[in-house]
Amino acid sequence: MNTALTLLLLLIFPGGLFLLGSGMAYEWVDRKLVARFQNRIGPRWFQPLADMVKLLAKEEITPQGVHKGLFIALPVVALAGALTAALYVPLIGFKPSFSFPGDLVVTLYLLSMMSLCMGLAGANTVNRFSLVGATRTLTQLFSYEAPFLLAMLGPAIVTGSWQINQINAQAGNTWWFILTQPIGFLVALVGLMGKLELPPFDAPEAETEIVSGALTEYSGRGLALFRLGKDAELVIGLTLVAAFYLGGLANPLEFLLKTLGLLVVMAGLQSLFARLRIDQTVGLWWRIGALLALAQLLVLIIL
Amino acid sequence: MTELKLETPWQKALARVRTWARINSPWAIHFNSGSCNGCDIEILATLTPRYDVERFGIKLQGSPRHADVLICTGPVTLQARDRLVRIYNQMPEPKFVIAVGSCGLSGGAFQGCYNVVGSIADVIPVDVYVPGCPPRPEAIIYGVVQLLNSLKGETPDPQAKAVSEA
Repeated sequence: MNTALTLLLLLIFPGGLFLLGSGMAYEWVDRKLVARFQNRIGPRWFQPLADMVKLLAKEEITPQGVHKGLFIALPVVALAGALTAALYVPLIGFKPSFSFPGDLVVTLYLLSMMSLCMGLAGANTVNRFSLVGATRTLTQLFSYEAPFLLAMLGPAIVTGSWQINQINAQAGNTWWFILTQPIGFLVALVGLMGKLELPPFDAPEAETEIVSGALTEYSGRGLALFRLGKDAELVIGLTLVAAFYLGGLANPLEFLLKTLGLLVVMAGLQSLFARLRIDQTVGLWWRIGALLALAQLLVLIIL
Repeated sequence: MTELKLETPWQKALARVRTWARINSPWAIHFNSGSCNGCDIEILATLTPRYDVERFGIKLQGSPRHADVLICTGPVTLQARDRLVRIYNQMPEPKFVIAVGSCGLSGGAFQGCYNVVGSIADVIPVDVYVPGCPPRPEAIIYGVVQLLNSLKGETPDPQAKAVSEA
C-alpha cells in the first residue's frame, strides 16, 4: 500500500472527514427522532455542524489546578481513538481499510479510549462536579464493558474468527444472528447505549445533579473534540452491531437501512426510559446483562 | 478581545462562518439572581415541547463553561451579586446576557430594598432586555431573536415591542 492511499484512508474516507460528517448526520437523526418522540419539531439538519463550528470558534479556558498538558491532550486522544477504530469496521458496507486476525479486540479497546479519556479529563480538574462525573464514567466503563465484550464474542465464536471482516462476511451467509442469539443482540445494543452515555445510562453527565459530569470544565475546542469523538463512536458502534447481528453489511444501502433502523430503536429506548442511578446501572449490567450473555455463550459453546 | 482587521476575503469568509454558527447555536444558562420565580417558570415554559426552542438550536446547559447566553432573572440581591459576577466570568467569550422581567430591568417591585443592589445592568453588561412581569415565553424567544439579529449586524428596531404586550 503506498503512502498516498494510506493518507487518503486516514484523512478522507473512513478515517477523517467522512466519519466526522456521518457522525454529525447521525447525531442529528438521533436528536430529531427523540424530539419527534417527545412531540417536538426538533433541531434543523445543520444543527450539529453549527454547534461544532461555534464551539471551535469559542474561547478555551484552562481552569486553575489542572495539568495543562493532559487537559489539552485528552480530547485529541479521545477523538483519535474513535477515528482509528473506524479503520477496522465495514463502514458503508465496504471492506475495512485495515484488517488482521484479532482486530475485534483492538477495535473494542479503541472504542473504550473515549470513556477512559473522559474519566481522566474529569479527574484532572479540581471541580467537584467533574470529579463525581469522572467516578461515574469510570464506574459505568467497568460495568458495561464486560457484557458488551461477551455479546460481541457470540458471533465471533460461531463464525470461528476474531476478524471483523470475516465475521461480517459470514454473518450474511447464515441466519441473522439476531434470530439465533437474541440475548446477545439486546446486550450489545444496550451496551452501546451505555458506552455512549445515552439517556437511560446518562448518570455520568446528569445535568440535573452534576451539571455536565466530567466535561463540566471544558469549553470551546476540548468540548467540540469530545462531542465529535462521541458522534464518531455512535456511527462505529452502530456499524459493529449491525454487521454482527443484522446479517452483515455488504453494500451502502444495507448499511444505511440497518444502522438507521438500529438508531430508531435506540432513540425509542432513549425517550422511553428515565435515567438510572449509577448503582442501578451497575446492578443491571452485572446481575442481568453479564449473566445472560454468559449463559448464551455457554449454550453456543456446548451446541 | 483584540480588534481584528478583516482584510483578505479568506478572513471575511471565516468571520461569516463563525457568525453563522453563533447565530444558529446559542446555548443558554439560566441564573436566578433573586427573582420571585415567576420569570423562571416562564423560562422553563419556553423550554417545554410546546415552544420547542431546540428548533432554533437553543439548548439549556448546566455548566457556564458550555454556555453562550446568560439568561438572568430578578433584581440582584446582595447575596447573589458575587455569584452572578462569578458565573459571568466563568463563561468563555463571546458571551451575551439577556435580562428577563421587570425586576431584572430596573429592580422592579424590589427597588430600594435593604438587601437589593439593583438591576442586572448595575452588575454585569446586559445585551437584551425583555420586559414583563413575567414576560410570556413568546416574548423571551423574541428577545433571543433580537440578540441574534444584533449579531448579524442589524440594528434592532427601536419601535419593536415584545409580543406579550400585543
